[in-house]
Amino acid sequence: MKRYFRELSVAAVLFGLLLLLAVLAPHFFDPQPLLSRMTAAAPKLVLACGVALVIICRQIDISIGSLFAVCGTCAGLATAAGTPFPIAILIAIVVGLVGGAFNGFLIATLRLPSIVVTLATMVTWREALRLFQQGVFINLPPGTEWFGLPMTAGQWTVCAVAIVLVVVLSYVLKNVAAGRFIYAVGSDAEAARLAGIRPQLVTFLVFAVMGALTGLAAVLNMVQSPQVDPNTGRGLELEAIAAAVVGGVAISGGRGKLWGVFAGLLLLVCIGPALTYVGVKPYWEKAIQGTIILVAIVADGVRSKKEGNRR
Amino acid sequence: MQALRGVSFDLRAGEVHALLGENGAGKSTLIKIITGAHQPDGGTIEIDGRQIAHLTPAVAHQLGIACIYQQPALFPDLTVTENIGIRLEDTRPFACVKWTTRRQHAAELLQRIGADISPDAEVRSLSMPEQQLVEIACAIGAGARIVIMDEPTASLTQQEVGLLFAVVRELRQSGVGVIYISHRLEEIFELADRVTVLRDGETVGTRAVKCRTGFQPVAADSHEFAQTDDRQDACPTLTETELIRLMVGREVSNIYPPAESDAGDVVLSLKNLSCAAGGVKNVSLDLRAGEIVGLAGLIGAGRTELARVLFGITPADEGEMLLYGKLVTINSPQDAIAHGIGYVPEDRRRHGVILEMPIAHNVTMAIHRRLFPRIWIRSEAERSLTLEYINNLDVKTSGPAAAAGSLSGGNQQKIALARWLATKPKLLILDEPTQGVDVGAKSEIHKIIRRLAKEGLAVLMISSDLPEIVGMSDRVAVMRSGTIVEILPGGSDSHEVMAAALGQRKELNRRDAETRRTVT
Amino acid sequence: MNADKHRWKNILARHETILVILLVIEICYFQLAGIRFGTADNEANIVRHSVEIGLLALVMTPIILTGGIDLSVGSMLGLCAVLFGKFWRDAGMPPWLAGFCTIGIGAMCGGFNALLITRLRLPPLIVTLGTFSLFRGLAEAITRGVDAFTEFPDSFLSLGNGTIWGLPTQAWILLAVAIFVWLLVHRTTFGRSARAIGFSPEGARYAGLPVERRLATAYILAGVVVAIASLTYTSRLGTAKADAGFGYELLAITAVVLGGTSIFGGVGSVHGTLLGVAALAVLTNGLTRVPATMNMAGELSGVLTGVLLIVALAAGSLPKLIRLLRRRSRSKPA
Repeated sequence: MKRYFRELSVAAVLFGLLLLLAVLAPHFFDPQPLLSRMTAAAPKLVLACGVALVIICRQIDISIGSLFAVCGTCAGLATAAGTPFPIAILIAIVVGLVGGAFNGFLIATLRLPSIVVTLATMVTWREALRLFQQGVFINLPPGTEWFGLPMTAGQWTVCAVAIVLVVVLSYVLKNVAAGRFIYAVGSDAEAARLAGIRPQLVTFLVFAVMGALTGLAAVLNMVQSPQVDPNTGRGLELEAIAAAVVGGVAISGGRGKLWGVFAGLLLLVCIGPALTYVGVKPYWEKAIQGTIILVAIVADGVRSKKEGNRR
Repeated sequence: MQALRGVSFDLRAGEVHALLGENGAGKSTLIKIITGAHQPDGGTIEIDGRQIAHLTPAVAHQLGIACIYQQPALFPDLTVTENIGIRLEDTRPFACVKWTTRRQHAAELLQRIGADISPDAEVRSLSMPEQQLVEIACAIGAGARIVIMDEPTASLTQQEVGLLFAVVRELRQSGVGVIYISHRLEEIFELADRVTVLRDGETVGTRAVKCRTGFQPVAADSHEFAQTDDRQDACPTLTETELIRLMVGREVSNIYPPAESDAGDVVLSLKNLSCAAGGVKNVSLDLRAGEIVGLAGLIGAGRTELARVLFGITPADEGEMLLYGKLVTINSPQDAIAHGIGYVPEDRRRHGVILEMPIAHNVTMAIHRRLFPRIWIRSEAERSLTLEYINNLDVKTSGPAAAAGSLSGGNQQKIALARWLATKPKLLILDEPTQGVDVGAKSEIHKIIRRLAKEGLAVLMISSDLPEIVGMSDRVAVMRSGTIVEILPGGSDSHEVMAAALGQRKELNRRDAETRRTVT
Repeated sequence: MNADKHRWKNILARHETILVILLVIEICYFQLAGIRFGTADNEANIVRHSVEIGLLALVMTPIILTGGIDLSVGSMLGLCAVLFGKFWRDAGMPPWLAGFCTIGIGAMCGGFNALLITRLRLPPLIVTLGTFSLFRGLAEAITRGVDAFTEFPDSFLSLGNGTIWGLPTQAWILLAVAIFVWLLVHRTTFGRSARAIGFSPEGARYAGLPVERRLATAYILAGVVVAIASLTYTSRLGTAKADAGFGYELLAITAVVLGGTSIFGGVGSVHGTLLGVAALAVLTNGLTRVPATMNMAGELSGVLTGVLLIVALAAGSLPKLIRLLRRRSRSKPA
C-alpha cells in the first residue's frame, strides 16, 4: 500500500471531488457535456503520459505545446491539400517523432540540460510556425471532423484512442523490459550503465516517443473541429507536467504510474468546472493549477528530504 | 605513481581469503585489476588455470567475478525483485518481463543466501546491509564463482554483521571463492581461511588463519575443517600480533620534526559528543594549544565524521563542546570559523580547494568578512596576502592568479592549508593532510604543521598513515566504531596504535597495559 | 598546466570578441539593407525595447553563475505589472508609492523562490517552473483574465517614453542596474561566492561560505529587478495586462548564455550578458527595418533567438563532449 500512497491519495482526492460535484452539481454528470469534456481532455491525457515517461527518465520537456501546434498544422495542411486522412495522421506522428528526436539528440548526445534545450525548441517551433502560417486557420475538408463519424461516435473514438493508449503504455511500462529501463535510468543512471543499459540511448528514445505522442495528441485535437488553429497548444506543456506531477510522478525520476497520471489529469480537468459550480470564477483556474503543481512539488521535496535525513 | 608492484595472490574455490593492509596499501587497485576496471602493467592473471590475456569488466563478468562495494549500485526506486531481475536478465529491450518468475527467482536467491527480505520491498526502504545482501543475491544469481567484498561491514551493526557472515559462510560452502577485505581483525579471525597482507603495493605474506592462539575456533562444521586443513599445509599459521606486525612493517623513522612545544591551555574540550547522522558517539577529548593530537583509526571509524561535527557540517545532536571553557554550539561552518576552528578536508579536489578558481580566491575564501569588510573585493590586499602565504608555505606556482587546479597535489594541499591559516584559527583540523602528496611536499607539510603547533595552535590531525600519526603527534587518539577507544602518548609503538584501531581484544590490551605498569 | 588558465581566459576573450564581431556584422548589415536603421530615433527605440530584457538578463546572470536558473521572471513581470496597476487604480496610490509596493512584491516573489530552493533543497529549475505558472495564474486571476490597466498619468508614462540628457529615461535605469550588478558580480564577495557555488556547491560549503544566504540573495535580487522592469514595461506600453512579459524568461536566458555564461555555473560575466542583450536587441529591431523581413520580423527574430540559444549551448558543451569521447576511446583499447 505504501508504494502506491501518492497515486492512491490523488485518486482519493479525485473521488472526493467527484462526490462533491455529485452533491452540489449533479448536472456535471450529464452524459453529453461529460463526454465533451473528456474528449477535450483526451489530447492532454496523451501528452501527460508522454511527459510522465520523460519525467520518470529524470528529464523534462516543455517544448511539447509548440510541437503540438506544429504537428497539427502539418497534418492539417496535408489534409487540406488532399492527402488521405490516414497518411495525414502518419505525417503528424512522424513530424512529432522528428521534433522529439531533435530534443533527444541535443540532450542525450551533447548532454545539455533538458530544460534549456526544450525551452529553446519551444520558442523556435512556435515562432517558425507563426512565420510559416502567419496565424491563418486551416479549413479541413468535410469528413475529417470526428474521423467522418457522427459526433458522439467520434467523441467516443477519441476517448477510446486515448484510453487504449494509456492502457498499452501502462502495460509496456510495467511489463516490457524497455519500459523498465526508463525507470532504471531515471532512478540511477550509473547503476543502469553497470547493469548493461545505455542511459543515453534510453533518454534519446524517450524524447523521440514523447514527440510521436505529441503528434498523436495533435491528431486527436485536430479531429475535434473543422479547422486547425496554428496558435493552439500554448501552456499545454504545463498542464501535462502538472498532471504528471500531481499524479505522483517524482520529479527526481524513477517513480510514477500512468494510472496515477490519469487520475492527476482528471483531477485537474474536473477542478475547473467544480470551482465554477462552487462559485469561484474561472479566471482563478490557472492560479489554482499553479498552486496544485507547487503543492505536489513541495510534497515531493519534503518526502525526499525526510528520506535523505533517514539515510 | 605506482600503486602495485609484485603482488601475488591466489584464491581457491570454497575459501574466504581476507585481504588486509593499511589504507593505501593497494587493496583497491588490486580489486580493480581483478574486476577488469584497471589493466595491470605486468604479470599474469589465471582463472581455473587458464591465463586471461585481457581482463575487461565484461570478461570478468562472464568469468563469474562479482564485486560488492560498500555503496551498493542499486536502483533505489525499484523493488528488490526488479533490481535482481534487471541485473540478471539480458537487456533485450522488447523482452516481456515475467513478474511471477522474476519474483520467484528473486525470492529463491534471497532464500539461498538466507536473507529475510521481501522481494517486493523497495530498495530505498532497505537498510545498508540489506542492500548489500541484495547485491550478493545478484552476484549469486549471475553464477559468480569469485565474490569480492570490499569492507562490507564498515557501516553495519553487530547484528547485521552476524547476518552477513552467515551468508558468506553459505557462499563458501557452495564452493564460491570469497575475497574479503576488512580492517576488523576479529572478523578476519572469525571468517577467513587465509589472509594476505599488502603493504605499500606489495604482498608481505599469505598466512592460514585456522590455528590461532588465544582464540576459540568459530563454530563451523567439522567437514569443512577437514577440507580446509588439507589445503592449508603450505601456509604458516598466524597470530594476531604477527598480523599487526605484517601490516605495519617498517619501524618509525626519525624523519619527523621533533616536538618543541609544551601543551598549553585547553582550547577545545569535547564531552560525550554525539551525532547520529554522522555515526559519531560519545566522544570526549581535550585539545590543547600548541599540541598536535593525532586521530588514528581505520576508514569508517568515524574520524572524518568527527571532524565534520566539529566544523558544523553535520552538527552534533548530543554532548557538549567547550571552547576555552565556554559552552559553544556549532551549527554551520560559519559558526566554526567564527569560533576559530578551521578544517582542511580529506577530499582536496572536491572540498579542499575549488580547482577552477585562482589561488588567491581560494586562499581568501574563508575570510571574506575580515579581509573585505565592506564586501568589496580588495584585489591588492588579497594578492599580497596570498603572496605572503605562497612564500610562507613555499607554494610552487606562477602566481596568485593561477588556477588551483594547475598545481600539483602537494601545492594544492598547501593552498587548502593557507585558506585556514588565513582565518587565524585557534584549532586546526587536518584531515589526511599528506594524502596523495609526494615525499618532498609531505615532509614540508609536516614541518609546517609542527611550526604551527609551536606558534600555539591546537592541531587535530587525522591520518591513516601510521608512521605519520606516531611521528607527528603529541598524543594519539584512536577511534573505532564512531568513538575514541584509547588515547596513547606520542611516540607510541605503531603496533599498539594499530591494535587499538583494529579492536584487538580488550583483554590483550589490558594485559599489555598491566605489563607496562609493572615495568614502570 | 598553467596553460589551462590561459585557455580559459582565451575562451572568454574569444567569446566576447565573437559577440562584438556578431554585433558589428548585424549593425553593418542592417545599416546597409535596412531603412532608417541608423537614425537617432531608431537607436533610442532599440534601447527602449531592450531595457526589460536587459534588466532580466542582468539579474539572471548571478543566478546562472550559481548553477541555478529562474524560469519565473517573465511571469513575475506580469504579476508585478498588474499589481502595480491595481495599486495605482484600485488602491488609489500615487504612482511612486505603487512602484515601491510593486518592488516589495517582486522581492517577495523572489523570496518565495529562494525559500523553496534553499529550505527544501528543491532544484531551482522545478521550483521556478512551478512559480512560473503560479505567478502568471495570479496575474490572470487579479485582472479576471481580461482587465487591463491604462490611462496612467503622464508623469509615470514619461518613465517609459521620455528622455533625460538625450537618452531614453529607462536607459538610465538599465545603466544603473548594470553598473550595480557588474560591481556585485565582479567586485564583491557576493560575486565571488556565487562563482564558487556554481563551480562546486560542496566546496563552497566546506570553505565556510554562507551558500544558502547567497542563493537567496540572488533570487530575491532577481525579484526586485523584475519588479523594476515591470514598471518600465508598463510605462513604455501605457498598459498593464496579465500577459506582460510573456516569454521573457527565454529571451533573458538566451542573452545570458549567448553572453558566455556557462549554464552549468561558475563561468561568465555581466558585460558578456550586456553584449548578448545588445546582439538580440539589434537583431530584433533590425529585422523590422529590412524590407524583406519587415512583415514577419517578430517571428523571424523569435526563430533566430531559439536557434542562437541552441547553437550557443551546443558550442559551449562541445569541448566537454570531445573530452568525454576522447576519454572513452582511451579507456576502451581495441
